[in-house]
Amino acid sequence: MANRTLRVDYIARVEGESSLDLRIRDGKVERVRLSIFEPPRFFEALLRGRGFGEVLDIVARICGICPIAYQMSGVHAIEDALGIVVDPPTRVLRRLLYCGEWIESHALHIVMLHAPDFLGYPDGIAMARDHPDAVQRGLALKKAGNELLTLLGGRAIHPVNVRVGGFYRVPSRGEFAPVVESLKHARDLAVATLRWAATFSFPDFTHDYEFVALRHPDEYPMNVGRIVSSAGLDIAAADYETEFIQRQVPYSTALHSVLGRRGAYLVGPMARYALNRDRLPAEVRALADEAGLGPTCRNPFRSILVRAVEVIYACGEALRLIADYEPPARAFVPAEPRASVGYACTEAPRGILYHRYRLDAEGTIVDARLVPPTSQNQSVIEEDLRQVATAGLDLDEDALKANCEQSIRNHDPCISCAAHFLTLRVNRA
Amino acid sequence: MHLLRGAFLDTAREPGVSSGGQLSVLVAAIGNPDRGDDGFGPAVADRLRGRVSAGVRVIECGGDVLSLIEEWAGFSAVLVVDVAAPIGRPGRIHRLDLHGPSPLVTFARGSTHALGIAETVELARILGRLPRHLVVYLIEGERFDIGARLSPAVNDAVDRVAENILAELSGRSAALQEGSAEHA
Repeated sequence: MANRTLRVDYIARVEGESSLDLRIRDGKVERVRLSIFEPPRFFEALLRGRGFGEVLDIVARICGICPIAYQMSGVHAIEDALGIVVDPPTRVLRRLLYCGEWIESHALHIVMLHAPDFLGYPDGIAMARDHPDAVQRGLALKKAGNELLTLLGGRAIHPVNVRVGGFYRVPSRGEFAPVVESLKHARDLAVATLRWAATFSFPDFTHDYEFVALRHPDEYPMNVGRIVSSAGLDIAAADYETEFIQRQVPYSTALHSVLGRRGAYLVGPMARYALNRDRLPAEVRALADEAGLGPTCRNPFRSILVRAVEVIYACGEALRLIADYEPPARAFVPAEPRASVGYACTEAPRGILYHRYRLDAEGTIVDARLVPPTSQNQSVIEEDLRQVATAGLDLDEDALKANCEQSIRNHDPCISCAAHFLTLRVNRA
Repeated sequence: MHLLRGAFLDTAREPGVSSGGQLSVLVAAIGNPDRGDDGFGPAVADRLRGRVSAGVRVIECGGDVLSLIEEWAGFSAVLVVDVAAPIGRPGRIHRLDLHGPSPLVTFARGSTHALGIAETVELARILGRLPRHLVVYLIEGERFDIGARLSPAVNDAVDRVAENILAELSGRSAALQEGSAEHA
């Protein structure tokens, strides 16, 4: 059929609600629309008029999967505004928190949301009947991440322990003992998960993305770094809004973010890995090589492998940080309000998360700008979909839908965060 | 004020072990107190705190129900409290034993992403990780608006379910092994 319309009304195994419309005319993909119909949540407006000390508890509610990312970008931006430099052990604890979130978020996506696509199951539950060991590993990994979040954040969902200047309470060295045992076991499970995922059959697909990620002089990036790209971008977080533009599209409640000079770009694990592979320990690079990744991965279907590599890294990095941890002399640095603007960008599991806050002299939020990773990846997801749909024009509707949904899940979109997401409609009429 | 709810850190505790060192009971209250009747589970948890014996742990589960499989490891009995979509009469209480060879009820999927209690129980059953006793209290909800309070019918059921659970816990050996689908 030369003309047809394909529609998926709800994209499964993604966070939030979205649909996809594909219109095919005369054997060509004429239109691709990833439509996020989750209602706008107005968090930026909700923050206006709130004290700076309230921000972290509010933004943690934006996402149940990546609340740490929102707290980290938020706390760094406000500390930037107030001129606060935290004590070195505080920075270690924040990096540990991020390790926990990467582990639990990536483990959930790898095993329960993405792997069923490669193995031909409708969901993780059906997959568990034939692959129980893999699912058990995923659950144990998720638990290890959650334990870290609970210890440092007070609880795994919507943590409450982060405050401007540091933490409300900092753990003693001894409190890490049970977490260390979980993380050692988790690292072995993560290696097994990578080797399991490396056996999957991956579609032959490449996309010449402009990768955008943080870059730090010494570390694989989490909390700190300059925003760099594979096309030579190298800016501070404060310059984000001069290079990146958010634009509205009529079919989605999520804004699309593009590079003003070049358009669509990719954030997330593939971008982090491509731009920061040299920051990974040699043993992690060797495991990535063993899984067939190479120095740069441009096949989004193989992103599942990159996530697994990052889980291995996060487990090992957490163990390293805990081994060197000495509690700070004070839980937090006092914060004095002042009229100011602060900027921060940190690496959420799905990619860079930008926050900007303007405060008045009393420390009240005058305005806020939050740009989540899914908002930044939407344009590139549509570009991927156009390629996948074009390659699959001869497929029947169910097969084409399945390929398109898998293509979206390659990027682990967090639609609730972006709604300011699947239903697939393919129009061949 | 909702931001202050549950603002205290979870205390470190070895799961499933009572002060006497015996395996015990987990009460898992599922829900979001800021979404109308979805706050039923947390409201019941509030009523139970301070009234259960040392061998009983009460937790709230906001959105990550999948983690229950790890949370209930080591507990011999688990009571789950959750809200259901209305299927007849808001406020009606259903008590279900989900440890049988097959579920007694069919649940509709409620999310494109997160696993609900039905999917979590099914996954645990496949993995052989169901607790020895698993009872679910479900209340039929009426409204789930952001920021709304419990509807009157659901609010009226909070104390009844809390008292039912306390009674069940006090004679738990018998009650939990009887397990059946019933309207309380």
